[in-house]
Amino acid sequence: MLELSNITAGYERGKPVVRDVSLAVSRGEAVGLLGPSGCGKSTLARVAALLHRPDAGTVVLDGTTVTDYRHRAPRALRTTVGVVFQSPRLSADPRLRLRDLIAEPLKATGRRIEIRERVDELARAVGLGGDLLTRSVHEVSDGQLQRACLARALVLRPRLLICDEMTAMLDASTTAALVAAVENYRRETQASLLAVGHDQVLLDRWCDRTVSWDVPPPA
Amino acid sequence: MADARQSPLQKVLGRSTRTLRVRASVIIMAVVVLAVVLVPPLAQLDQQAVDLAQKLRPPSWAHPFGTDDVGRDLLLRCVYGLRVSLMVGAVAALAATLIGTAVGAAAGAFGGWTDRVVMRLVDTCSSVPHLLLGIFVVAMFRPGVWPVVASVALTHWLSTARIVRSEILSLRSRPFIDAAISGGASRWRVTVRHLLPGVVPQAGLAAVLMVPHAMWHESALSFLGLGLPAHQASLGNLVQSARGSLLAGDWWPTLFPGLLLILPTLAIAGLVGAWRERLSPRRRSELML
Amino acid sequence: MTAGTLNATLSVRNLSVRFRMRGGRHIAAVTDASFDLAVGECLALVGESGCGKSVLASALLGLLPANAECEGAALLDDGTDLITAGERLLARTVRGRRIGLVPQSPAAHLTPVRTVSSQLSETIRELRPVPRQERRAAAHAAAGRAAFPADHLDRYPHELSGGLAQRAATALALVGDAPLLLADEPTTGLDRALVERTADELRRTVDEGRALLMITHDLAAAARIADRVAVMYAGRIVELADATRFFGEPGPLHPYARGLLDALPERSFQPIPGMPPELGDLPAGCAFAPRCDLADALCGTQPRFDGRVACHHAHTEDPSRA
Repeated sequence: MLELSNITAGYERGKPVVRDVSLAVSRGEAVGLLGPSGCGKSTLARVAALLHRPDAGTVVLDGTTVTDYRHRAPRALRTTVGVVFQSPRLSADPRLRLRDLIAEPLKATGRRIEIRERVDELARAVGLGGDLLTRSVHEVSDGQLQRACLARALVLRPRLLICDEMTAMLDASTTAALVAAVENYRRETQASLLAVGHDQVLLDRWCDRTVSWDVPPPA
Repeated sequence: MADARQSPLQKVLGRSTRTLRVRASVIIMAVVVLAVVLVPPLAQLDQQAVDLAQKLRPPSWAHPFGTDDVGRDLLLRCVYGLRVSLMVGAVAALAATLIGTAVGAAAGAFGGWTDRVVMRLVDTCSSVPHLLLGIFVVAMFRPGVWPVVASVALTHWLSTARIVRSEILSLRSRPFIDAAISGGASRWRVTVRHLLPGVVPQAGLAAVLMVPHAMWHESALSFLGLGLPAHQASLGNLVQSARGSLLAGDWWPTLFPGLLLILPTLAIAGLVGAWRERLSPRRRSELML
Repeated sequence: MTAGTLNATLSVRNLSVRFRMRGGRHIAAVTDASFDLAVGECLALVGESGCGKSVLASALLGLLPANAECEGAALLDDGTDLITAGERLLARTVRGRRIGLVPQSPAAHLTPVRTVSSQLSETIRELRPVPRQERRAAAHAAAGRAAFPADHLDRYPHELSGGLAQRAATALALVGDAPLLLADEPTTGLDRALVERTADELRRTVDEGRALLMITHDLAAAARIADRVAVMYAGRIVELADATRFFGEPGPLHPYARGLLDALPERSFQPIPGMPPELGDLPAGCAFAPRCDLADALCGTQPRFDGRVACHHAHTEDPSRA
């Protein structure tokens, strides 16, 4: 499903934060990527989500070798991957209501017809009930917002889900609820998962296998 | 409770000077707008009415601002002039903001060489003094309102473009833009739906602050005889035509148009200050759960 | 810990904080919180985000926004009431001197353009009458207390690792030798090793004779350093327990606290169903009842907090309490 080979990536020339890393996630597999904070694992996650062009190395996503990133990547390939970030506050457009936040990818890809059905279905799946969908982003708690961000990542039915420290800022119960929602989705769709985090206990419990950052994983 | 925690000095000084400034600004702006809107249709005198017997009279009850060198009532002339200057200022500021936002957004959203070329162009234009550039623009047309508006708009969009670009660049690196891209949004959609709305407050602020700038620019052009036609009252034209009488010791034809240029400037600055304070996120979050 | 313990460094009595919102609505962020904190003791205040625990911390520091209304008291050992004290008193004698704040994000708390030693010296100058020539030595001593390596004192914050930045921030909090430390989510976003190191640093400062109120949602960090645990739910403290009993056997008494522990990945990893209620729209009775599988008609009335737990159906093997 996802093959990252010898990836080197960074934000400044000559100062790569990711150096020659390889990682593979096969179809339906859940891989945990464990590493200390600031080690570059989020950058690798952005590369895998086609959001950051690596300086060197190849990305093969769903059998396609990726040549372009961000807007230049073909839309169909981009939407194969769903991403959830660490901070829900920063990853939600502050002017939206939760319903619009979740429906945004459907609108962006011209699938407005599905909005009503999909959004309600996903809201149930991530446990957003009541009038929460009509609230705006700054009227809900971090936990509720992260639930909405997960729903947004799932709305286009991605075949690979990348969770970059999805639960680092959340309490135990919300963490468990979000992980359960991800696992339900994966059971239904056979989607793959790349979960990036620093909590070994959590990743071991969640994923089929966990790779540790300090030992570069074999391709 | 929070009030009890402010020291008395803070309470008296900090608080009331701020509200005082805002109140004064509101009152000045209200008077200016009302005068500009209501006086022309209600006035009984004609602003163009020449009365050579009454020429260069100092301020009196009949003519609170005095009269000019052909005996026209200066209060009326000033109100008409302010009207023209404000309109030119507002329209030009709006146009400049639209141009600046479009250019800045394009540079910021596309990045790469588009950004480099556009911003070098902006730098080049900024290195020429505004007034010089403005004169160049009006010189290409016959005197009138629209060349002046164009002159202001074409010289003042540069700063807005810079503000909008830097704001867009900072928004662009946020995870919510990553999320939108990953959700399949096109570059156009990301720019229009997610980036531009985020710069509206800043651009709006810049637009309002630009109105006085534009008024001053218009006045400067008119003062140089390059702005509006001489018969049309504008604050710049009024000061220009009063030059001769100022040398003769008659102060009022210069003072009042000048004051009318300064007062709205101060009032707008006061209002923008208050607005900016409201926009700052620390004050905006009333609740910190 | 009973009410009115004499050696309590901080004693919070029936503290309530409400926010006045537009349209006459009120948000009850903290309701009727009471607890004591003694020297050499660490109390962990745990709960979900938005349960009111940060508001409680802000109330203790006098940093609430203008639309907040407080009731109750928070007494320091000399009788100073943090709730009614004026801003001048808080700024001159309390913050930094009586209460040290260990920040949530040390990297953001440190001034990026000044070295650690210059920031320490500045804080020392503000808080203690130390002559100029001795300030550097005092800065060294302060750094030493937080186990910050002396040879890193002349570095800028961005040159420090996350762990060292945390120690630098802790050193700043310790400069005024405040007997009470307040740590607001000190471990959020840190990796496990760093969480444990931070927790151990904080524990050491407690063992040196300070009181620590740690506000966190990280149960693992709480388990590592706390002597006692206060569980907050929907603005109320629903359980106040000894940490060994809480994290070990027989476990928490309140069903919410039990659910919170069960949600940990090292335990059953089962979330508590539903979501916490809105603080602006709390149910009449027990706020946890809608999510609780033990709830019955009795839960329509607000359970009284008896010093240990506020629940009509508290978990117990002790039949006299059933």
